Amino acid sequence: MKLYPELDGIGACRFAAGALVTALLALAGCSSTPPVDRSDARDRYEDANRKVFAFNMGVDSYVLEPVASGYRNTVPEGGRTAVDNHLRWASMPSTAINSTLQGKFENAALASLNFLVNGLTLGFADLSEDDQEVQREDFGQTLAAYDVPEGSYLMVPVLGPRTTRSLTGNVVDFVMNPLQVFGTSSTADAVRTAQAPVGAVSFRASNFDAFNDVKYNSLDPYARTRSVYYQTRRGLLEDRVADRTGSAVSEDEFDSLF
Amino acid sequence: MIRRRFIAVAIACAAFVSMPAAVAGADDRQAAASGLIDTMIADLQAFLATDTGDVEARSAEIDRVLSTYFDMDTITRFSAGQYWRAANAEQKTEYGTLFREVLCGTIVRNFDQLNGLAYTPGAISAKGDKFVIVGGTFTDTAGARPPVAVNWRVLTREGQPPRVFDIEIENLSLLVTQKQENVAVIRKNRGQFGALIEAMQARLDAPLHSN
Repeated sequence: MKLYPELDGIGACRFAAGALVTALLALAGCSSTPPVDRSDARDRYEDANRKVFAFNMGVDSYVLEPVASGYRNTVPEGGRTAVDNHLRWASMPSTAINSTLQGKFENAALASLNFLVNGLTLGFADLSEDDQEVQREDFGQTLAAYDVPEGSYLMVPVLGPRTTRSLTGNVVDFVMNPLQVFGTSSTADAVRTAQAPVGAVSFRASNFDAFNDVKYNSLDPYARTRSVYYQTRRGLLEDRVADRTGSAVSEDEFDSLF
Repeated sequence: MIRRRFIAVAIACAAFVSMPAAVAGADDRQAAASGLIDTMIADLQAFLATDTGDVEARSAEIDRVLSTYFDMDTITRFSAGQYWRAANAEQKTEYGTLFREVLCGTIVRNFDQLNGLAYTPGAISAKGDKFVIVGGTFTDTAGARPPVAVNWRVLTREGQPPRVFDIEIENLSLLVTQKQENVAVIRKNRGQFGALIEAMQARLDAPLHSN
């Protein structure tokens, strides 16, 4: 059974655009938190964001955490790797297009090749023999490359932390889902519909202990999540995660020290 | 004209003479920082080889490692952000004790994750005149977990031994994360430093969630 049976081709574009407009309208309706009450200057809608975070933690406690725990304990490692491979493969067209837009042509070529070769198995098996890893690039990173401001920090229901820029990027990337080209066959529809929830479970299972440590053992899980999100995003934007050298932490952080 | 040319030549000579010294200084700092990390890793591996899982022994070991290799005074000060200056002497002492306790508890809680990891040193680079970043990778010898990139931010101040200041795991700074969380707690309580101490004490008193 499909959750959104109308989401094919142009319908998906409309849905994605609609989701963005709805999210932005909802945020516009939220009164911003006065600067003096914000725990971080970038968090303009902190009061509303904290409410959404509490909702997301509820969803996590009742749905995601138990499912991820079961997934981790019952699905063998090979199966989990196959799912991760498929999710990674599904992001390749988006990576290829965004790499091109950012002038990273080698990465774009690698992503295209990876998509074509692994498409034989819908990405569940990694058939590529190239050791060079494809760096994932999303439309949010492309917008950043063109100096589009990152906007406000947003806690999006179910999706989690985003900035206005990265949320916009998500919508565009959603439209670039490669399974759109496989038409409306029931198999393609089923795989396409399952991608988001499976991706969420896979992510939660892969980061199970770290996620729980933030959720249960930190002083302010909301603030910690926000800090982790900004640092991770900064690492991606500076292409530091993939080459694993240097430090993605801004030296400005340490200016006040001496 | 001659005077101006003389000054230019003098500056060029001074720059030329001072350059090797500066480079040698940076090299020395990098070597010292790298040596500190190598010694610390060897020290930890020696403990892990005889570790029985006893929580008290682990806590004592972590406390010793923090005292020996980390600049705890500077870390404590930094972790409270700009609100450190607003705290009185008593609050600073109390916060320092609690912060160390929370840090030890966090490491001990995740200690099992260190088992079965092999460490490979990586690139070393100076950051300004006070920090050196020593890179490395932890690899699971059983291959069950993906490799984890780590950066040790080492404080190298003239006339003082190098000390670890921060650990960045996959570009995520543990200290910056802690600082931003601490500052958030203080700000949500109208800038009251005491609120952070209360929150830390409550956290320590509450039963910890184990995975």
